[in-house]
Amino acid sequence: MDSASIQSVTFFDFLDRMRNPASLDLVRSIKSFIVSFSFYTANPENDGKKVQDFFFTMEAAIRDHPLWDGASIEEIDSAMEGLEKYVMTKLFTRTFAPLPEDVKIDQEISEKICLLQTFLRPEHLDIPAVLQNEASWLLAEKELQKINAFKAPREKLLCIMNCCRVINNLLLNASMSENVVLAGADDFLPVLIYVVIKANPPQLHSNLKFIQLYRRQTKLVSEAAYYFTNLVSAKSFIVDLNAKSLSIEEIKFEENMQAARLANKVARVEVSPTTHNIKASRAERGPGPSGRIHDNETNTSGGSSYPYMEAEAGELTVGDVERLLSLYKDVVTKYTGLCRAVRHVPVTKKVPPAPHLEGTDVMLIQPAETSTSMDSQKSFAESFARESKNN
Amino acid sequence: MGCAASVPDKSSGRSGGLNNLENGGPPDAKNLRVKLVLLGDSGVGKSCIVLRFVRGQFDPTSKVTVGASFLSQTIALQDSTTVKFEIWDTAGQERYAALAPLYYRGAAVAVIVYDITSPESFTKAQYWVKELQKHGSPDIVMALVGNKADLQDSREVPAQDGIDYAEKNGMFFIETSAKTADNINQLFQEIAKRLPRPSVPDS
Repeated sequence: MDSASIQSVTFFDFLDRMRNPASLDLVRSIKSFIVSFSFYTANPENDGKKVQDFFFTMEAAIRDHPLWDGASIEEIDSAMEGLEKYVMTKLFTRTFAPLPEDVKIDQEISEKICLLQTFLRPEHLDIPAVLQNEASWLLAEKELQKINAFKAPREKLLCIMNCCRVINNLLLNASMSENVVLAGADDFLPVLIYVVIKANPPQLHSNLKFIQLYRRQTKLVSEAAYYFTNLVSAKSFIVDLNAKSLSIEEIKFEENMQAARLANKVARVEVSPTTHNIKASRAERGPGPSGRIHDNETNTSGGSSYPYMEAEAGELTVGDVERLLSLYKDVVTKYTGLCRAVRHVPVTKKVPPAPHLEGTDVMLIQPAETSTSMDSQKSFAESFARESKNN
Repeated sequence: MGCAASVPDKSSGRSGGLNNLENGGPPDAKNLRVKLVLLGDSGVGKSCIVLRFVRGQFDPTSKVTVGASFLSQTIALQDSTTVKFEIWDTAGQERYAALAPLYYRGAAVAVIVYDITSPESFTKAQYWVKELQKHGSPDIVMALVGNKADLQDSREVPAQDGIDYAEKNGMFFIETSAKTADNINQLFQEIAKRLPRPSVPDS
């Protein structure tokens, strides 16, 4: 994308100027600011303010700096974009989802969306047929799902903007070709909410909070602020969502939610034993489906009661058959018991009696991006080196 | 990218509401930047009013951001002040009512729209007025707009009701037709005149 390549040029330019001996004073301020962060425990509100104050001070310093003598407003601005990216990449692990409660909220939202995904239809949000465009929606979802591929607040915000622009284009096109009256936000918000539910973007709450706190305040205004607010509002709608929020009968809604919970639960019970082998399986398979299990604190200790979870067909011997069969019966008994407990007959018919596969499916739905946040564990110096090379 | 991205704007970098002074750019009482939020039932024509305003102004290719729900437009006043409206549309359906505070926070202007053929939408407009009086910023400029004035034959809300209600609540009132463009520019000109002017902006 155009603006992305422009941005990498300006970031390179920023790094270049920072290597210039004349900028030693700036480099010192930046380094000491970053180091000062490690002295205190994370406190998002304070940290956000500290960072914003630092940006503010640095902007004045850069404007008066000989290296930027005679620079235009745009040049100062791109230096500031570079600074934001540099500082926030360095402080990423410290500032992104630093509190256990943030992690918990992220997980709750993501789980609720998982449930909603199983039955929510555009009609439940009264999205008119002319706006039901799977291709556009998919594009918008993809933009949103990219959000964890970036660490800089500006780039994360850009993912949101791009998602909203895709939806915007869809609405504008519909109003031109279909002769429908453009209904503005009346149409925009429902489509955005639907797209968010379909996309289930990773760490939605933490990403929004991070952008809010660390995107340069002078940049979170106007159109960017509007689209950002829309995503905040979509999140808030999803968090509070109940039968009354949708065009659906209350009984139907509860049934669907129960059924989805059940399917989830069954999946979890089935896969839980792998948590014990998580390291081994990760090493073998890379950050695959097991990443999902890792996120689930709710896993009950199934222990070694399902020892064949990791087994390959070729490794099994005839001697295993008896054990396998008894485990199978055990699983089926628990499964049907669960189904009965929720007394939901229609669903028991839908879910095939092969919970293994069902479980894996659910896991695979998870966006792969979640694993990128793990990268942040690597040293900042390394990531910085990588960035400068890439550019 | 196909969609109209906002024109790179040297004066960008001010926070919401009236353009209070931030770093970057000189203080400017002659070039105001204003966050305007649109409230009203779905179907009353909120976005049509804005589209009419935005497209009907200057050359359509000029400094305009046209989105489906966010638009900006600059107008010039007689005293050579310019006012850039950043217009935030909100979803009018009942199920999104609880989200409105996210949008009107920090707005300098609220335009509350109803449909003169729909008493329900007039009731809804009164709800928004009360909500803003309680939770909006205290110096917010509010305008009450009766739209679809071209549909005189199906009128169900007398103009006098709008006038009376607006007067009681210290608001500006106007009836518009997004269809015929009646009173659309007047609406925004009037709002611009009523904006508090930061004579000497203090940071």
